Amino acid sequence: MTTILEAHALGMQYGRRRALTDCTLDIPSGHVVGLVGPNGAGKSTLLKLASGLLSPTSGSISVLGDAPGSGPAQLARVGFLAQDAPVYPNLSVADHLRLGAHLNPRWNQEFAARRIAQLDLDPAQKAGKLSGGQRAQLALTVAAGKMPELLLLDEPVASLDPLARREFLKYLMESVVENGSSVILSSHLISDLERVCDYLIVLVTSRVRLAGEVDQLIAAHHRIVCTRREPDTLPAGLEVVSAEHTDRQSTFVVRTDAPLPAGDWAAEPMSMEDLVLTYMETGGPGHRPATPVSEAVLNDAASNEAVLNEAVSNKAASNKAASNKEAGR
Amino acid sequence: MIEFHLDTRSGVAPYLQIVQQVRQALLLGLLSEGDQLPTVKQVVMKVAINPNTVLKAYRELEREGLVSPKPGVGTFVTKTLGQASLTEHEPLRRDLEAWLTRARTAGLTEAEIEALIHSTFRVSVEEER
Amino acid sequence: MIWLTWRQFRTQTFAVVAILAAAAVYLLITGTQLRHSYTTDLASCQPQNSCLGLLNALQDQYSGPQFLAEFFVMAAPALIGIFWGAPLIAGELERGTHHMVWNQSVTRTRWLAVKLAALALVSVVTAGLLSLLITWWASPLDTIAGNRWGTRAFNARDIAPLGYAVFAFALGVTLGLLLRRTVPAMAATLAVFIAVQVLMTAAVRPNLLPATTTTVPINQTTMSQAERFDRSEAVTGPVTIDLPAPPGAWALSQTPALNSAGQPIQTSEILNCWSQMLAQGPPAFKGASSGFGSLGTCLAPLDLHVDITYQPAGRYWPLQWLETAVYAVLAALLAAACFWRVRRLRG
Repeated sequence: MTTILEAHALGMQYGRRRALTDCTLDIPSGHVVGLVGPNGAGKSTLLKLASGLLSPTSGSISVLGDAPGSGPAQLARVGFLAQDAPVYPNLSVADHLRLGAHLNPRWNQEFAARRIAQLDLDPAQKAGKLSGGQRAQLALTVAAGKMPELLLLDEPVASLDPLARREFLKYLMESVVENGSSVILSSHLISDLERVCDYLIVLVTSRVRLAGEVDQLIAAHHRIVCTRREPDTLPAGLEVVSAEHTDRQSTFVVRTDAPLPAGDWAAEPMSMEDLVLTYMETGGPGHRPATPVSEAVLNDAASNEAVLNEAVSNKAASNKAASNKEAGR
Repeated sequence: MIEFHLDTRSGVAPYLQIVQQVRQALLLGLLSEGDQLPTVKQVVMKVAINPNTVLKAYRELEREGLVSPKPGVGTFVTKTLGQASLTEHEPLRRDLEAWLTRARTAGLTEAEIEALIHSTFRVSVEEER
Repeated sequence: MIWLTWRQFRTQTFAVVAILAAAAVYLLITGTQLRHSYTTDLASCQPQNSCLGLLNALQDQYSGPQFLAEFFVMAAPALIGIFWGAPLIAGELERGTHHMVWNQSVTRTRWLAVKLAALALVSVVTAGLLSLLITWWASPLDTIAGNRWGTRAFNARDIAPLGYAVFAFALGVTLGLLLRRTVPAMAATLAVFIAVQVLMTAAVRPNLLPATTTTVPINQTTMSQAERFDRSEAVTGPVTIDLPAPPGAWALSQTPALNSAGQPIQTSEILNCWSQMLAQGPPAFKGASSGFGSLGTCLAPLDLHVDITYQPAGRYWPLQWLETAVYAVLAALLAAACFWRVRRLRG
């Protein structure tokens, strides 16, 4: 299976502000990838790096096997839709399609014209007079009309009403069927992503906290409710992602690739929304980032050792903190 | 042509929801042998859903022998589960009614009954995997 | 890319065509009238050799339209920079449409190259047409004036406006790229363009080619051509004489009256001759010679002279070419900066 996006220790710094830190990703093609995280987490930056609108300040990124934005051939394979779907206000809908036709060798006018007709848009209408939802659809048509292998969408539906959002997602999925494109879609509306995404990346404060296929992630994560206990009393092989305690009860979110062993607890599967929220809550300084289990990391013994050492020291620190808390009760 | 809907809150995987809805349509007689299922593109345009999900559901239905694809044309129903199936399962339904009566007599509220059914069902699904 | 450039520039094209057409109509009509008046006046005054007064009157009559037309031609490059240059990149950045257009299958370099080349060409053609019109229109007036060295004349004739136009355009584009917002870029373009024009006209142009200096002795012949004679109030102050530069030349500077050693003389040294001249009555201007001739006769034995620095008439075209070249080179440097910067721009 080919890779649509590969990043090694990718970082982006704007002056003092760090937008992305040490991001390593290996995204296979053929997926609709959901990029989720709080505002300011770095989602926009990652997408702009992938489309070639930005150059990284550290690390590397390659899209469809090439450096992003490197020449017309690469640009033709990647479609980009910026936040709030900018269009040319004084150009008509038809003019936008002509723009696509003139500037893209693989432009499919038949597809684009059919899309415009399906959407009931007047080709002569100036784009500045369209509603927000119509602008987003027009921008999507321009991005998808060049038949790209990858579509990058930066929160395109954030400011749209629920109906417009739903319509946009429908047409986006139709493009995936029509072109066989892969999609990377960023949003902070998890409900939208739950419908359409089968690969998930969680970005919190400039770092990748979680990345993987949704089916595998959901199968690997469990919420365990049991009597009050320490995380290290849980069976080995269970990676504790989060832990919450009341005086009588402990709730853990654990991750394991093997089947969950039996134990004196109630285990519940987790929805994508639960998963995302858990990783967004536990992500933060001092916590161990949940690095994605990618082949690149598994093959790199040195980084494995470093990860292991960090895990041990972090666990020791969190155990100490937890026992201090208990002592203080 | 049947239409699908997706409930993201049900806890059931999206592709399974589609499988269940096809089975239900077969049971209710909305689909008969030879009928064409909606194409992936049609499903995706009605329900904003990942095309892979639809493909996975159709493959599962094919595995169960309910449908079969004709390349270049579409996916067609090969077997009906008519009303006969419902009558086949009449004993099971009566057993279930009896259990429900016992549960209510034992004092369980409707919410507790539903929770008990759901968790038992989920555990058994996991065990079966 | 050509289509897109045209489509985004369509409104401006129609506007400029309309303005050029209106200007052409006005200038053609009034220009024909001017030529007609000129030839009629010449025909009537030459036999009597009384042309100076008549032609001066013609100049005065057309001074208003001349000022307006020249001002318009001088303003045109600034307007080009403000309305065509500044919004070119700044407009895209402001509206976020660069996210759309820079993701099409054209590199930013090609995108910018086509836009810059096409619009620079249109700018040059526009400025060229305006310059052509006004150079034709004003030629009788230029003949009367004897030269085109005046600021409004040099800046609004022949090829100088072409250099200004392409420079102003490049300036607008660059400032738009740097400031990223259209309105501040427009204001900055206007300010910088005016500053550069003033600097060029006042300080650079006189020195683009080495000026000629000539020594004019003070005697009856030369003094009869003098336009002014100023003695200072204080007896120790200098004496300034306005002697005309050679015909058609651009007078840059004149020293005050100097003695044979090259030192400025003091008013006290000429008071004698000055009083003598006043005794004969105020200087009267008779035709082409002024009334300072007698003063010149009196001063001749003092062996005084004035040094005049000027650009000879023949330098007009070389300076036009040089100045246009300077602006063209500046424009090219600005364009290069734009290419370099636009590739590094962070979305």
